[in-house]
Amino acid sequence: MLKRSSSWSGALAVCAGALAAACTGQIGGDEPPGSDPNGPTVQGFEPPAPTMRRLLARQYLNAIGDLLGPEAKAAATAPADNPINGFDMIGAAQLNVGDVAVVDYEKSARAAASAALEGTRFEDYLTCTPAGATDEACLDTFVRNFGRLAFRHTLSDDEAAEIVGVGLQAGAAYDSFDSALVYAIATALQSPSFVYQVEVGEALGKDPTVRKLSANELATRMSFFLTDSTPDAALLDLAESGALDSEDGLRAAAESLVAKPETALAVGAMYDEILGLRALATISKSTELFPEYSPTLAESMRQETQRLLSDVVFTKDADFGDLFTANRTFVDAELAALYGVAAPPPGEWQEVTFPETEPRAGFFGQAAFLSTQAHIELTSPTLRGKFVRERLLCQSINPPPNDVVTEFPDDEGLKTMRERLELHQVNPSCAGCHALTDPIGLAFENFDAIGRFRETENDVTIDASGELDESGAFADGSELAGLIVDHPDFTDCLVRNVYRASLGHIETDGEEVVVEHLVSGFDDDGRRLKAFLVELVVSDAFRFVGADQ
Amino acid sequence: MSKWTLNRRTMLRGAIGSGLTAALGLPLLDAMLDTHGTALADGTPLPVRFLAWFFGNGVRLNQWVPSAPLDGNNPDGDQPKFQTGLFEGDAWDLSEELAPLANVKEYLSVLSGFYNKAGAQNRRGHHDGAAGCLSGIPFIAMDPGNANYASKFGGPSLDQVIVDRLQAQGVNTYIPSLHVGVSKRITKGEGPSLWHISHKGPDEPIASVLSPQDVYDQLFGNFVPQDDPSGKLRMAMLDAVASDAKRLKNRVGKADQVRLEAHIDSVAQLRQQIAALPPACTKPEGPTQTNEDVDGKEPLEEVAHVMADLVTLAYRCDLTRVATWQQSGSVGGTVYWMTGATTEEHGLSHEPGGQDLIHAAVVFNMTCFAYLLENLKNTEEGDSTLLDNSAITLVSDAAQGITHSNFDMPFVVAGKGAGKLKSNLHHRSANERSSANNTSDILLSVLQCFDEGATEVGADEGYSNTPLASIKA
Repeated sequence: MLKRSSSWSGALAVCAGALAAACTGQIGGDEPPGSDPNGPTVQGFEPPAPTMRRLLARQYLNAIGDLLGPEAKAAATAPADNPINGFDMIGAAQLNVGDVAVVDYEKSARAAASAALEGTRFEDYLTCTPAGATDEACLDTFVRNFGRLAFRHTLSDDEAAEIVGVGLQAGAAYDSFDSALVYAIATALQSPSFVYQVEVGEALGKDPTVRKLSANELATRMSFFLTDSTPDAALLDLAESGALDSEDGLRAAAESLVAKPETALAVGAMYDEILGLRALATISKSTELFPEYSPTLAESMRQETQRLLSDVVFTKDADFGDLFTANRTFVDAELAALYGVAAPPPGEWQEVTFPETEPRAGFFGQAAFLSTQAHIELTSPTLRGKFVRERLLCQSINPPPNDVVTEFPDDEGLKTMRERLELHQVNPSCAGCHALTDPIGLAFENFDAIGRFRETENDVTIDASGELDESGAFADGSELAGLIVDHPDFTDCLVRNVYRASLGHIETDGEEVVVEHLVSGFDDDGRRLKAFLVELVVSDAFRFVGADQ
Repeated sequence: MSKWTLNRRTMLRGAIGSGLTAALGLPLLDAMLDTHGTALADGTPLPVRFLAWFFGNGVRLNQWVPSAPLDGNNPDGDQPKFQTGLFEGDAWDLSEELAPLANVKEYLSVLSGFYNKAGAQNRRGHHDGAAGCLSGIPFIAMDPGNANYASKFGGPSLDQVIVDRLQAQGVNTYIPSLHVGVSKRITKGEGPSLWHISHKGPDEPIASVLSPQDVYDQLFGNFVPQDDPSGKLRMAMLDAVASDAKRLKNRVGKADQVRLEAHIDSVAQLRQQIAALPPACTKPEGPTQTNEDVDGKEPLEEVAHVMADLVTLAYRCDLTRVATWQQSGSVGGTVYWMTGATTEEHGLSHEPGGQDLIHAAVVFNMTCFAYLLENLKNTEEGDSTLLDNSAITLVSDAAQGITHSNFDMPFVVAGKGAGKLKSNLHHRSANERSSANNTSDILLSVLQCFDEGATEVGADEGYSNTPLASIKA
């Protein structure tokens, strides 16, 4: 069932209309962009040339699991991701695979292939009965069946022959067809055709600057984006049938992927990165001040945010801003103790309302944010404010200045963080940036370095009030949360973060028209992320690439 | 009687049991030495080993620079004033922060008052220091407007330049270079310049290996016995992988063609390792020390020790001649808990009240550096020691973290470069920012230990064709 909100279709109606009117037989000529029925729908859109994206570590592992079963996934190890501009995917689109990664891929491929034969999934591709250790025909059948899914396209004869050749050598060396299978699988799993998403696109009409992704490329891109894994046979069949060529067909396919549980996991993984939750695995806290802090509590903090995210986006399909403003959260027993709310039985989670007396709001009130953006003993309003500016509003904060002799007045006798931070205002070269970060962070001073509530610091009542840009004054962190989600840069930044995390580059000038279109559609639609995932897939940005210069 | 003695300190810390001494056989080079133990049997000189030892966030110059402060010295300023000149032998003493290196003082050249000229091109604290001092080439800024700031190196780091030079001379060790790391609290959000210290080029950073077990696997894990068929089969797989990459190269754009070429090079490198004969060194048992936190604290000292043992082993067995060491990260979040610090180092470095703790962290780092140098000094090689036959640079990403200054970078060259380097000296250059005291001059002198014909290093503002004469033997 297609679910299309009026606002999205409003934005797309122009295109749909153009499509209906002009789609037959009008190929060639000097028509503007948008008039080619197969071309981009947004005028002025100029996509950048595509670059190969190495599968992210989680995508690589999920793909091996989907292709070859849980045994193979458990045996595989992925080379580390290398983020650029804050995103793994941008690093995956730019950096080389070097010596260390190649060693990792080889080792992992061998381990995963061996483990695959302990399971049963590989039998799906073995549609023949091997007559012996070096049954070439049967191995060829297996390689073509498996290779189509591993490489996301039908293998060419050259591709198949090479892998079969290696397998036959192994079959002969060990006098075992199983060995032939293991080496054939291990070859495929370390091949660039598996390791990279390769997109070249197909020429479109007379415009050489815009190319349309092939059906298989598009299926691959949407599958890795929406499920963090490789397209399954059904999706590849659908793509090869031409069903993804129409907007409706593509939308339907995207919607069915979004309904899968894997999409919730993929969105969760994306927000592990965007919200800085991965840091919870490594940060330390003072054991004297915070005896309750432990690696298990840190992991609970991460899960807490993930549960609220999943609830807002998938269960309630609500405004994404709720993640930052909700007066409720999810706790296990350890977190319940931290927040001073009723605890569920050990090992269980339950939804609770934040205590009314505390200005907690959504993610800003959660221990994950309050702990990661803090020091071992002390809070850091600067880090908390910097996070909001950079990650949620997409504003740049400069680092501390170079060559500046930092001489601050003595802070002895100053009891609150607010007083101590005001010293930064003495030095004009520090003041500029601290004026951007600190007032935001000071709003969360009611929560210590692991997120426990406090009304005073060194016996002085905490003043959490301040002002946010043109948005006006707030009394505490909860009020500030409301101002942030209504900030004009907030929705825009949300879209850009998803865009960067999925497409692997910072949007170029030529893509701005599509980004703006996506932002306004998302906003008008009540900022429902689930719907936005589908809209991004059907957008020009997802379906078209530029040509290499 | 062999001159190769296995010092107890070269044992792998945390190795299982105590059988390691027996397990380690003769190093590869032993069989190749001439009868005097001063050169290889074919007359070529003993090989020189390179290592770049990096720690993040700089030093406290007042406690780092070995000569006397002068009038007008401002320890937090961007150009502190100290007595200048060349001080050799007994004419110089170790500073407070260098004091842990007392047992290897005669192997050190401390170079102060030098200017990271490459860093003048794009000023961005830490990024400029790391790229300038490790490569001599200005970094490439990747400033995408409203996304997180990021940068990458402008070209290869010195270690990879040396790898290229050695390979051009026909020196192909089992692995081209070894990259170890100690602290895991590395800043990963601002691109390759801050994350990695070794770079083949702008788009190919090389990660430091943080797990001692992984380093061990890298050194010993890929040897295949000659009668094991899997060696040939693994090479056949890699040939198919390379073919696949070549096919793709015909379809993709120019930038991706370069990336696939690098991928193919790395495949060839692994293939060569699988084809290699096992080293004459008997495989020692693996280390049991892990790099996991204990109660939220990093086992920095323990890991530094086992990494030093592994690097020494790799050199002794001639598995590689080039290494890098990432003690802590640029803008690193290491918590030097043993100093009493409870805040991550980078944040602390910008706090005027945190400078005593920064100083203590530098001292701690120098004890780790000293452990490595002493380890090399205690490993005999013919009539000399591994440290005699090494050229090791110690660099950071800022002069002092609090100001991000790119003048007066902390710089030490350790080892005698197999007779090519002078040592036991402190050279304090004139207090100026000029091409006369470019840190790249130091890099060039070190590079010449590996290729006497090398005439230049770095690029753009960091370019140098004038090696630093004071450290050349």
